Amino acid sequence: MGTSSSQGLLVRAALIVLMNLVCYPLLVALTFISVVVCWPMLLLTKALTGWRWGKCARLLVWVYGRVWLWSVRPFVRFSREGFTPELARTPSVMVVNHQSFFDTYFMGGLPIFDIAFAVRSWPFRMFWFRPVMELAEYLDVESLSHRETERHACEILESGSHVLFYPEGHRSGDGSLGRFYSGAFRLSKAAGAPVVPLCVSGTGTLLSPGRWWFKPARVKIKALAPVYPGDFEGQLGHRELMNHVRTLMSQELSQMENAAEEIL
Amino acid sequence: MTDEQVIETIDNALCEEFELEPSDMTPEATLFDKLGLDSLDVVDMVIVLESTFSFKIREDPALREIRTLGDIHKFVIDKKRQIETEG
Repeated sequence: MGTSSSQGLLVRAALIVLMNLVCYPLLVALTFISVVVCWPMLLLTKALTGWRWGKCARLLVWVYGRVWLWSVRPFVRFSREGFTPELARTPSVMVVNHQSFFDTYFMGGLPIFDIAFAVRSWPFRMFWFRPVMELAEYLDVESLSHRETERHACEILESGSHVLFYPEGHRSGDGSLGRFYSGAFRLSKAAGAPVVPLCVSGTGTLLSPGRWWFKPARVKIKALAPVYPGDFEGQLGHRELMNHVRTLMSQELSQMENAAEEIL
Repeated sequence: MTDEQVIETIDNALCEEFELEPSDMTPEATLFDKLGLDSLDVVDMVIVLESTFSFKIREDPALREIRTLGDIHKFVIDKKRQIETEG
C-alpha cells in the first residue's frame, strides 16, 4: 500500500515536471508565432468576411486560446456545459469567476468567439498583446472611467457582440468566490442585455495566483441560464441583480467542486 | 439617535450592502484602499445612506471630500444635525 502510494506520488511529480517542461516553451512558441502571423491572418479574415476589425481580432484571439487549449490536452481535461445556440446569438454581459491567469485562455474553449474582455490595465502592458487587444476593443477598466467603459461596452453589445467581465476584479487566492464589483451589472441594466454567469472550476489547480508551475487539472466551464436585468428594478436594482447572480454562481461552483472531488 | 447609534447604523448598513468585514470598519479605514470599494460602490453607498437615513445627499459638494469611513460618519452626523436644526 505504502509502495503504491509513493509510486503514485512519483508518477504525479514526474507528470508535473514534464508538463512544465512542455507547456511553458509551448506557450512562448505559440505566442511568438501568433504575434507574427496574426497580422496577415487579420487581413485575410477581414477580406474574407468583411466583419468589423474588432470582430476579426476577437476571432484570432479565440483561435489563439483554442490552439493553446488543444496543445495542453495531454495534461488538462477540458469540458463545457450549458452553451446553447440562443446564448451565442444574444449579445450578453458574461461574468466569470476568476481563479487563474489562464482563465482567459480557456475562453478559447467556448463555442462563442465574439467576446470583448473587460480587463485591468496590466494585461495591456504586455506589449506583444496590446495592439491586438486594442483592435479587439478590450476594455481597460482601470484606465477608462466607468462612464467611458459603459459607453464602449454598450457599443460592442449593440454591434451584436458579447462583453465579458471578471466581477471579482482579481484572481481568488483560495478559489472561493470573492466580493463582486457592480460595473458589469450596471452595464446590463443600462444596455438591457442579459447577464450570462459562467462558472469555471479547475483553473486554480492548473495555475493559482502566486504559483509559477503548472499542475494537471480538469477544467470545466458551465454557462448558467441568462439573467435578465428587467427583473431587478429600483435605484439599487443593479446590486440586486449582482447579488442574485453571485448567489447562483456560488451555488453552482460548490456543486462543481463537490463533483470534482468525487471524480478524484 | 445618538452619534454612536448613527455610526453603528452606518457601519451595519455598509457591511450588509458591500459585504465588508465588521473588523475593518474603523474610522481610519480608507474607502478605496482598505475597504476595497470602487467609485461605483461609492455612488451606491450614497443611495444606501439616503434610504437608511431618509435624506437626500447626492448633490452635496462635501461628498467629494470623503476619503475614509470616519469622514462618512462625520458627514452623516453633521447632515442629521443640520436637518434637525432646520426642521
